[in-house]
Amino acid sequence: MDNITLTSLLLILGISLGTYSLRVSGLLLSNKFIENENVKVFLEYLPSTLLLALVVPSILKEGLTGLVAILLIVVCMYKTKSILLSMIIGVGVVALSRNFI
Amino acid sequence: MKNDFRNGFISNIPIGISVFAYGSVLGMLCIQKDVSLLELILMNTLIFAGSAQFVIVEMWSSSLDILSITITALMVNLRYFLIGASLNPLFVGSTRLEKFKFMHLVADENWAVTINKMKNEPISPSFLFGGGVSILFTWSLGTISGYSLGGFISDPAKFGLDFAFVSIFFALALSMYKGKQNILPWIVTALVAVIVESLIEGKSYIVIGAIAGTLVAVFQEKKESNG
Repeated sequence: MDNITLTSLLLILGISLGTYSLRVSGLLLSNKFIENENVKVFLEYLPSTLLLALVVPSILKEGLTGLVAILLIVVCMYKTKSILLSMIIGVGVVALSRNFI
Repeated sequence: MKNDFRNGFISNIPIGISVFAYGSVLGMLCIQKDVSLLELILMNTLIFAGSAQFVIVEMWSSSLDILSITITALMVNLRYFLIGASLNPLFVGSTRLEKFKFMHLVADENWAVTINKMKNEPISPSFLFGGGVSILFTWSLGTISGYSLGGFISDPAKFGLDFAFVSIFFALALSMYKGKQNILPWIVTALVAVIVESLIEGKSYIVIGAIAGTLVAVFQEKKESNG
């Protein structure tokens, strides 16, 4: 159970250090960096585009079920803004289709 | 100061319920991907960033692609740079040591609760830190519960659990919608990601798709401010 390889330890430590540096440097460098309009837009869009790039190929691989699921998630987010409910809907649609269709 | 810590802790308990729920999903997925309990706990405490942890576990395999995973996870976490910058007013008058101490336990949730609170009354960074400890607590409780439960579910795919990632990330992206200007960059991102994924083996489609869409956003914004 408590096994950890050197590779995974290095991976976790590397990401930890990087994430902490981002948090602290954002605070320490505030105002300076963010003056640049292009940098601001780039940083603003990166999280959402990253998440989309990550999931869109997986959605398409799920076929029609995937499209139905994300359509319902769009409606859910528009109406409730609840990410948790969106997750339940997405998982529910896929589970139903895999078991009953 | 003491009160601020306690208030921060308590104010983050309601949102902690959903943190617990996501955490339990992550814990179950860790079982599927053969992530050990120790690795999970180290990620919880040292990385302490939900969406990045989902990404890491998603990309986890017997042969870890350290470079791709690190780059992708840090890009997902780039927003913490902005989050850090936005906390500037809270830390006015704080020492450098306090900044280094309190900034580790900053997640989307306690950051949002703190920013919200700051609008109404003056608070110290202890409020943020109390919230961080609160989220660390619910996050650990959730992930470890999911991890313990995950072993009992023999075929998670049957329950659509593998689609939990996709649903959460997709919903998170939608929650960042600011207006019509988002549409074109997002469509370009999706198209480029799908095309690159079908052409190039591995996970490079994530970063390539994201950068393509983001550059479209930068040019779009430039054009708008010039015209």
